[in-house]
Amino acid sequence: MAVSGTGFAPYGLDRSFPAPDRTRLPAFFTRLNDAAKSKVLTLQEYFVLAGKSLRFIFARPFYAQDVIQQMDEIGVKSLGIVLLTGLFTGMVLALQSSVQLKTFGATMYIGNLVSASMIRELGPVLAGLMVAGRVGSGIAAQLGSMRVTEQIDALNTLGTDPIKKLVTPRVLAALIMLPVLTIINDFVGIIGGNIIASLVVGLPASQYWRTVWDQIANDGFVFRYVPNDFIQGITKPFVFGGLISITACYFGLGTTGGTEGVGQATTKTVVTSSILILVIDYFITQLLLSVLSYG
Amino acid sequence: MADRPPTKPPTPGTPAAPPADPDRREGDRRTDLPAAEGRKTASVRQAIRSELEGDEPPTTPGDAPRTRGPDAPPVVQMEDVSLAFENPILEHITLAANEGETVVLVGESGTGKSTALKLILRLLVPDAGKVLIDGDDITNLSFEEALKVRQKMGMVFQGAALFDSMSVFENIAYPLREHTQMSEDEIAGRVREKLQFVDLEPDRVMDQMPAELSGGMRKRVGIARGMANNPQIMLYDEPTSGLDPLTTGTITRLIMKLQRELGVTSVVVSHDIRSAFRMASKVALLHERRISFFGTPEEMTASEDKYIQDFLGGL
Repeated sequence: MAVSGTGFAPYGLDRSFPAPDRTRLPAFFTRLNDAAKSKVLTLQEYFVLAGKSLRFIFARPFYAQDVIQQMDEIGVKSLGIVLLTGLFTGMVLALQSSVQLKTFGATMYIGNLVSASMIRELGPVLAGLMVAGRVGSGIAAQLGSMRVTEQIDALNTLGTDPIKKLVTPRVLAALIMLPVLTIINDFVGIIGGNIIASLVVGLPASQYWRTVWDQIANDGFVFRYVPNDFIQGITKPFVFGGLISITACYFGLGTTGGTEGVGQATTKTVVTSSILILVIDYFITQLLLSVLSYG
Repeated sequence: MADRPPTKPPTPGTPAAPPADPDRREGDRRTDLPAAEGRKTASVRQAIRSELEGDEPPTTPGDAPRTRGPDAPPVVQMEDVSLAFENPILEHITLAANEGETVVLVGESGTGKSTALKLILRLLVPDAGKVLIDGDDITNLSFEEALKVRQKMGMVFQGAALFDSMSVFENIAYPLREHTQMSEDEIAGRVREKLQFVDLEPDRVMDQMPAELSGGMRKRVGIARGMANNPQIMLYDEPTSGLDPLTTGTITRLIMKLQRELGVTSVVVSHDIRSAFRMASKVALLHERRISFFGTPEEMTASEDKYIQDFLGGL
């Protein structure tokens, strides 16, 4: 029996398995069995979609124009919110830490604190959350609308793999653009810290930037020249970029139920990718702290 | 009724004489019908005749281009196909469309007509039975192989399904850019040709976005896109739904023109029995998940079956 649900069968994913023998199981266990299978199947579909979309990056035909268009959509058009988020996060970070550091007479270390926080954690996570909200929802809504208006089926009937045409360019664009946005976010955040350090705390800019660099240098290097903080700061957004785009495409392509379904797909995308960003951030941090030698 | 075996599909033959009506094509068998059946058929035909007045007669009656020998297998064939999701959708569906024929699938809503089209496109895979295109079983093809088979087919969706991020030109050019080595000039020429075929002015509509088009125009652009690659098979999902009677007539005539002039094999899903009869070489009636009738429009109108009579009641 073919199992309906996300409607992924047309996109190369087989949702078929033998009909369960319902005569032996009590109703409760049957429901539990079905629910468990459905969850496992969802997970399988997610990873198959991820695998295919990444594999198609290296397979012809290459939709270069679509990739560039998506880089503009995901990267350039997200610049505004990322700049604002980064600037104010850096500023509030400096402001809050100045209050605490003043107690110990250590306000000269504001630069260390802002740079470590921005580069290692806040920059990647905030850029990820902003992009999940703005771009993830957009991708899910666009693909969801295409799904309910049969444009995805039209692509299929025109002999095009929708994953190759729609998912891969978005995933590739997100993998490239999220680290770029994060670098900008980090830099603007550190500048925000500088503004507060100068205006509120009265710390000279030269001293602030020296402590920023001290922090980066003290955290160690990989291959002698690449700071450990940069490795953390770039690895995370790279993973988040893939996570957001694949999650958005997954929910978008699986949209059912007309315009209401599009709304649900959008909501699920933002909620799921936000949660995944925060959870996976912890595990990446844990992994990188154990792999990279700090101090 | 549901268990009635499908009427044996008549072999499309060579017409003994040119059809009397300009709107009918080869394969018409109405002159062979008994008198009583003939009267019923005549009344049905009378009911639709007024709509047909605007139809152009075939340029070469009964002589649509053919590329296959007389013994060639049907272009589209479903053999004992069954499909179920949580509930059974289709059971033991058998039908065939020979080259140049237009098979119209009719039936009440929710009887699985559009699902049958998706099976032909291999967007769905049957639980049992076979779907054959040009005699080749497409049931067990891989996803990538199925994409190749689909290039033989053009599909016109109920809502046209034009890519709304692309202009009309880009929509029609899409399959050409994707699957051919044609130059941009050749593509532009082909797009113009197809737009003219569907009675649209290329210079006026080419740069428009789908959102700027009326429902009828969208359908016509959908047909132009479907036929851009000169497919062997055209599939239509409710091509006339949601259109006013005049536009319905225009779209119906277009489908007939495509069959007449290019010899395309068509499978049409329709609620609109009047349009269906105008364009059909054969009609398949889906009822309770099965094909309860498969034959010519004349045989259908001549049927004494109560369900068929009720179904045709609105005609």
